[in-house]
Amino acid sequence: MKILITGATGYVGHQLALTLANQGNCVHILVRNPFSKNIPLHKNIHVFTGDITERSTIKAAITGCMQVYHTAAIIGLWTKDPSVFYKINVDGTNNVLAEALESGVKKFVFTSSCGVLGPTVLRPKNENDPRTTSFDNEYEFTKFLAENLVKEYVHKGLFTVIVSLSKVYGPGIKTHPISVNSVINNFIKGKLTIIPRPGNLTTNYCFIDDVVEGHILAMAKGIGGEKYILGGENISYVDLFKTIRSLSGTKARLIQAPKPMVQIWAILQWLQYKITNKAPVATAKGIKHIFCNKTFSSGKAIRQLGYHPTPLQDALKQTIQFLKTQQYA
Amino acid sequence: MLNTKYTLITGASEGFGKALALECASRKMNLILVALPGPELYYLANFIERNYKVDVVAIEKDLSTEESCIEVFDQVSKMDLAVNMLINNAGLGSTMLFSEGNMAFYQKQIKLNIVATTLLTHLFLGMLKANGPSYILNVGSLCSYFFLPKKQVYGATKSFIYFFSKSLRGELKKDDISISVICPGSMNTNISVTLLLKTSSWLSRLSVMNPEDVAPIAITGLLRHKEVIIPGWVNKIFLFMDTLLPASIKKMLIGNQMKDIKSVTAIGLKQQTVLFSEKQNLRTA
Repeated sequence: MKILITGATGYVGHQLALTLANQGNCVHILVRNPFSKNIPLHKNIHVFTGDITERSTIKAAITGCMQVYHTAAIIGLWTKDPSVFYKINVDGTNNVLAEALESGVKKFVFTSSCGVLGPTVLRPKNENDPRTTSFDNEYEFTKFLAENLVKEYVHKGLFTVIVSLSKVYGPGIKTHPISVNSVINNFIKGKLTIIPRPGNLTTNYCFIDDVVEGHILAMAKGIGGEKYILGGENISYVDLFKTIRSLSGTKARLIQAPKPMVQIWAILQWLQYKITNKAPVATAKGIKHIFCNKTFSSGKAIRQLGYHPTPLQDALKQTIQFLKTQQYA
Repeated sequence: MLNTKYTLITGASEGFGKALALECASRKMNLILVALPGPELYYLANFIERNYKVDVVAIEKDLSTEESCIEVFDQVSKMDLAVNMLINNAGLGSTMLFSEGNMAFYQKQIKLNIVATTLLTHLFLGMLKANGPSYILNVGSLCSYFFLPKKQVYGATKSFIYFFSKSLRGELKKDDISISVICPGSMNTNISVTLLLKTSSWLSRLSVMNPEDVAPIAITGLLRHKEVIIPGWVNKIFLFMDTLLPASIKKMLIGNQMKDIKSVTAIGLKQQTVLFSEKQNLRTA
């Protein structure tokens, strides 16, 4: 079957493209740079040059495709020009949706983020739970707007399903400097690692293989217009690093930093940005996102899709193995 | 002791109403949430019950008709729920030239903002008296202090709320009912307002607050029997400046601030997503 994947030079899209190609599908990928080192290489993968922000460049790639996985997005909590978030995540999504509808695509899976659901109060959040705080960054807000577009297209006659990912880790290409993979990599290679205090703050982590499998399950069994959280285990920072330490035997130091300390660091980063124009690693807003609980329930995907997350221990073992053997830097 | 009293909040499924519901729930108040029909109300009610361990009753009702206000009261009475806090939050906002709006819109705005608040207060008065000490929070607006272009009808409805609350306060003292009016400035309450506010002038943006930050101020003020609650220091400065500046300068300032603001009503809400290209128009309009 012919399938289009956007964002195939990204972490999730890359792994998804390879998996679908391995299953014998004819995979079209739409990429801005056909010479990117992140292009997934496979005889069943066909590269089309284009950009989701230019609607006319999508047509050639989507023609004849029965299914679309739209994973392309700009991520991160900070950018010099926030309008790129609207351009790529909202307008870009609209372009892919419009082309999908026009070219007769049967099913459309949109990759979104659990960030849209926001922080947790007490119980792990599910797909229907409301946000309790306002959007404070362009990434989550534009993914929310894009989700609304995807839902609107159901009424226009396109079969769409949304999958929401938590923090993804596991073997794959490096695309983001502060990804879970990078943090684990630093830790197992003996570097000092800083986690928020209190260390019992809890977050959800999902394994890349599960995420890829979840996308394919959502395409096969998802109900049109519905959203499915593809998560993994909810675990505190302390327990997560304890587990990684016992699996990897790392001697790296782990320090718990209280919020005010990290905030001061963010202010210094901001000053540095103002003086030297060097992009800040952390911003005051970003810090708010670390110092809260973000737990999620994948119950709906488990019940309705047969989603089957890998136990954290196994997934971490594979990840550590990958990071140790690969030149992940 | 287990709390057996209920707080009734209108317009509870999104924006400031939702923030008030979450704030009250975090203070262990049982809730009756009234909002327009739709699944969001039930999602919120279910979420609050699971996370805050309070009792939540959801009532789907469009309060812009008199009958529906009466139906809400009847339903609460029939369920034998003891209301000791009434929060009249449901309202319809707008920013547009008078000539841009149609009669149906203004009728709805007046009915929801004025008539529903008056009616519900009247209907629940006896119940509040019986369950005292009781509280009424009416949601006014900072714009009831200023005469803003594009806010003529909206501002007038909020002035009604302000006048009504302050006058009624004296009457209800003997019944152990405390009535407060909160006058917030702009808040990020829904998508169209959030997008609009991102594009407005720096002075307006400075005063924008998030509903989850205003809600605790509202409930704290209400429980402390404050007559008028002004959230945020920027808004307080606006009001203070208002008493100092001569009328002519105020007019000039307001004119400057408002001329860049594009017309928008809360009714356009269903058209939930604004594309970047349209957003650009917002900015240049």
